Amino acid sequence: MSSKILVALRIAAPPETVFDAFTDDIALWWRPNSLFSFTPRSPGVMAFEDGRLVERLPTGKVFEVGRVRAWERGARLVFGWRQAAFTPEMDTEVEVRFEAVEEGTRVTVEHRGWDSVPAPHVARHGFPDHLFLQRHGEWWRTLLAGLAGRANSIQLGTAGERDA
Amino acid sequence: MSEQRTGLVSAVSYRDPKAAIAFLEKAFGFELTFLIEDAEGNLAHSQMSYAGSTIMIGNEWSENHASPASLAGKTTQTVHIYIPGDVDAHCARAKAAGAEILMEPANQFYGSRTYRCRDPELHIWTVSADVETVSFAEMEARSGLKIAVGAE
Repeated sequence: MSSKILVALRIAAPPETVFDAFTDDIALWWRPNSLFSFTPRSPGVMAFEDGRLVERLPTGKVFEVGRVRAWERGARLVFGWRQAAFTPEMDTEVEVRFEAVEEGTRVTVEHRGWDSVPAPHVARHGFPDHLFLQRHGEWWRTLLAGLAGRANSIQLGTAGERDA
Repeated sequence: MSEQRTGLVSAVSYRDPKAAIAFLEKAFGFELTFLIEDAEGNLAHSQMSYAGSTIMIGNEWSENHASPASLAGKTTQTVHIYIPGDVDAHCARAKAAGAEILMEPANQFYGSRTYRCRDPELHIWTVSADVETVSFAEMEARSGLKIAVGAE
């Protein structure tokens, strides 16, 4: 799979905490982007459930973004990523790596396979390839900043409990 | 970009930016924070971070952008890295990663310990750490230079 975006960030919390925040609390840190909606009825509420990443839409319907392809707590998470407008042969994949570093965790998101979505497709909004990937990558940066905020508050909460 | 950005960032051109990223990680401990790769696997854009600073690593993307490797080693800009710690250890690590040491670590009259090296595509990097506090009068005495600070 090629045509990829990579975004990485250091977060001051252990890999397990960041992994749990990513998966269990995705509804709390996700920031929808109207340019990259999963469906015309989005945004809804994101959740990992039954081995899938889904968006629970305001209509009550559940849209499957992708199936979880790897779930290694504190280390690695891989899931599929499709928009409703994708045709069956279009498929992108997100791999999230959680690496222990001195101050906590280095989280790396690799979103690949955009070459399966042709340039004229509606999902790309007519952007040239580089610009599309750049904009999408900036959204991932915003998302990771949200994740960091969530992981930090869990970490602070845990520290508070230990002190009590 | 969602966050407010103010300041200076260098964008450095390489013939093989992916190899450059690997070198900069290994030699200097820079961390890749952003990368975009096209359908052919070519790097379109990337950013690395060190101690809160950002540097962009790119290819020779226009006829006016070239790596020193394409210019017989000439370069018109160099990047300086300020580190908190051991300059000699930093130099040893860079050398082990394949850097060519142009100037071994040495104390400077202005209070820094500094070394200079060249990466595999001949970009020059200067690395230094403060090792003593030197007054301007002492700098002038040591160097014979006239030092003007904050001159209009």
